[in-house]
Amino acid sequence: MSVTIENLTVDYGGRRIVDDVTMTVGDGERVGLIGSSGSGKSMISRAVMGLLPDGFDVGGRIDVNGTQVVGLPDDVMALLRGAGIGMIFQNPQAALNPVQTVAGQVELPLKLHYDLTKKERRARVLEMLAKVGLPEQFADRPVTALSGGQQQRVAIATALVTSPRFIIADEPTTALDSTTQKQIVDLLVSLVDGLGASMLFITHDFSVLAHATTRSYVLDDGRIVDEGATADLLAAPSVARTRTLVTAAKTLSLR
Amino acid sequence: MKFTLQRLGLLVVALAVVSVLIFAAIRVLPGDVAAVMAGMNASPARIAALRAELGLDEPLVVQYLSWLKGVVTGDFGTSMLTGQPIAAIVAGRAAVTFPLILLGLAIALVLGISLGCAAVLARRCWVRSLLQAIAVVGGAVPALWAGLLLILLLGSGTGVLSVLPTQGFPQDGWASPGRALTCLVLPALTVGIIVGASIMRYTRSALLDVETNGDVIALAMACGMTRRRAMVTVGLRLATPQLVSVVGLTFAEMITGVMVVENLFALPGIGTGLVTDIGQRDLIAVQGELLMLAAFFLVVGFAVDVAHRTLDPRLERAA
Amino acid sequence: MNRNVTGKSSRLRIVCASIWRRPTGKFAVVVLGLWIAVAAVSLFWTPRSLWDTDGFNTWAAPSAAHWLGTDGTGADVFSWLMAGSATNLLIAVLAVLVAGLLGTALTAAMISARFSRGDADRGRGADADDTGSVSGTRRNVRVAGPAGSSALAHGSVVAVDALISIPTILVALMLAVPFGGSIWVIVAACGLSYGLNLARVARPAALLVANSAYVEAARRAGGSSWNVLVHHVLPNIRPVMTVQLSMAAGTSVLAEAGLTYLGVGVPSGTASWGHSLATSAKFIAVYPATVLWVGLTVTLAVLALNLFGDALRDAADPLTNPALRQNSARIVTDDDADGDHDYVTVSIRITEADE
Repeated sequence: MSVTIENLTVDYGGRRIVDDVTMTVGDGERVGLIGSSGSGKSMISRAVMGLLPDGFDVGGRIDVNGTQVVGLPDDVMALLRGAGIGMIFQNPQAALNPVQTVAGQVELPLKLHYDLTKKERRARVLEMLAKVGLPEQFADRPVTALSGGQQQRVAIATALVTSPRFIIADEPTTALDSTTQKQIVDLLVSLVDGLGASMLFITHDFSVLAHATTRSYVLDDGRIVDEGATADLLAAPSVARTRTLVTAAKTLSLR
Repeated sequence: MKFTLQRLGLLVVALAVVSVLIFAAIRVLPGDVAAVMAGMNASPARIAALRAELGLDEPLVVQYLSWLKGVVTGDFGTSMLTGQPIAAIVAGRAAVTFPLILLGLAIALVLGISLGCAAVLARRCWVRSLLQAIAVVGGAVPALWAGLLLILLLGSGTGVLSVLPTQGFPQDGWASPGRALTCLVLPALTVGIIVGASIMRYTRSALLDVETNGDVIALAMACGMTRRRAMVTVGLRLATPQLVSVVGLTFAEMITGVMVVENLFALPGIGTGLVTDIGQRDLIAVQGELLMLAAFFLVVGFAVDVAHRTLDPRLERAA
Repeated sequence: MNRNVTGKSSRLRIVCASIWRRPTGKFAVVVLGLWIAVAAVSLFWTPRSLWDTDGFNTWAAPSAAHWLGTDGTGADVFSWLMAGSATNLLIAVLAVLVAGLLGTALTAAMISARFSRGDADRGRGADADDTGSVSGTRRNVRVAGPAGSSALAHGSVVAVDALISIPTILVALMLAVPFGGSIWVIVAACGLSYGLNLARVARPAALLVANSAYVEAARRAGGSSWNVLVHHVLPNIRPVMTVQLSMAAGTSVLAEAGLTYLGVGVPSGTASWGHSLATSAKFIAVYPATVLWVGLTVTLAVLALNLFGDALRDAADPLTNPALRQNSARIVTDDDADGDHDYVTVSIRITEADE
């Protein structure tokens, strides 16, 4: 599934947070969006999903497989969310429903979009959990009883359980330690490629981006300031902002 | 479990402290308790007899302990005015007050939670603003005034729609349930509107809190829920611990409204009774009634805290 | 130091301007101003003397001579309502003062184990400093924290948790038994209840500050517990406190009305809104509209106090008031766009920028 964003703007309280952003994610492509925190990355992903609450004004076009989604009513967007597009959030501890069990969380998109029997759902959930590396006995534990890395695996399972064609990963590794980060990125990449889906991977960390994407956009203060193959951006950053982010990533990886 | 036991210990300590405070409040009364209770024109012999009867010549500690012993065995003493056991009097009054509280609370919860959700989720902006305005203004209305306005609107005799009784309670109490219930409708509506307004505000802010703090709502929506559905199912559930807490506190404040309303509608409840007893200086009765009320609220506070802890998985885990 | 002073006064100006810019804030300020003005005037002048009674003109309907009619003694209802504004202002101010002091003291006591360290402890802290390990110091403080202050902290937490469920009216009734109804009983009951409430609300913020590396640094620099409390903890719980106290002022008006109606509030003969409301309740069969005006006065006053609290919260919070962000730390603007605010971190940063 391809997603094309054209001249996207997001305004909040008289302030322009996302300013005239144009970008595309081709079918089966893994594309990165990098910027320091506060540059408006999350706003873009939430605009695509239709998750921005009242008060945020979204302008421009977002084409999801030929459908313009900006301005679609919430109940129509809901049909797309969790079926056509899956999303993974930054901090699983703040995103997973704390009163749910692992299985209860993962089966939610199935419940909402598919007419399956309990048994069928259960089988699909267990299969998905196995794919993200969580053994069966985790299924009935409360999500709060898991570690951060395990919780992010649950979040990935939730996003992918319906085999969506487009995945948005919004800083999926930021809340994790560096060993876990790599595991999660590798897992995500292999699962997305396995599905043949496309992915928009958002991060502020170039070192993560190199693993996850082939092509990237650099966002600064709501505008796209640079774009290109991730490897090229990393090796020979031409724009000042990109250079700063690359330097930061290199310093961090030295640690 | 550990938390519950600790909180239970706290409850016992608080009960003890409060009982001492109430006992002290009666005893620091300027002048002689017996003289006050016997009334202005009592003879010295009557006062002395009363002193002996109440054990007021004993040391304070002995008096306190013997009162406490009675309380623990359910003996709160007898009323000076009627000679009836205080426990029985309070039980009779509670048969009016508790139904009033429960009915009021039910109205408040239904109004507060549904309108609170609507104040967040209504499609039109002006509806949300209007609901928010109603909640804010409702929180500023004195219970007495709300009661009076309802009387003017619905009360029989004075009301624009003269439909509901505004004074008293059937002599035979709940023996005629229909009449008893109609007598409670206006008072309960008064309490329900006042408390409902604050529950509405809390519901609204708790829901918005759940939405803005963390991505639980966003994830539920990302799974395919509409915002409305995510807020009503997931959001309300996550807001519950917070709501239980504030409703518990609101409940404690609700009693002021309940007492005012009982007086306004001339219902023979605990509030009216307590105010009358204080006015008539029936101090033994006052002492027992204050303790029972305080104990009731402490137990409610305990229940609320335990419920809050049980309902919030994050707290459970932190403990 | 100089920067500090200008920073604070400009902050105050921004907050005031922001309150005034909101319609609800404007409403609150106007009503509160009017209230204070009427209260001041009523001390010297009311349309009729409060004691100007007329036995032949009781329960009179509103007229040019008596704007809101007369009560059962023939006294002018409007004059009593005016005079009541002064009493209720006094009660509100006193209740807020008592609640504020009690709340601050309780909050300080609740967190005392975390931020104070006795003089005996200071030597040990210095030893740890020599090793150069910050975490070592912290552990030391925890372990060696004076037993007294930890008992105090625990005790006050327990007291607040246990007593908070006792309703204001019960405290007032308890006090009214020995002392009779008076302004002081209302002030004491309201002050006590709201003080407990305040402590409970302010505690999480205070604890966070007390545990912050920032306070740690202040302590290591030799700041006394008192200093830490006044310069670091209080400024950080001030936003929570001001909002709560504004609400408490509103609640005190409602409490006065309820208590006076029940006969345990201000004694008869003292003008107060509760008194006027109770009077108009008796008046209802004769001239129902009067009750509208009296109740409306009380409702408007309480509403103004509540809205003022709301406006103040929004105006004093950098998350909702962009004007404040210019002179506070960058981190606020950073996090804002992503929507993942951390209120407490933010307010700590502001103090840093302020100091």
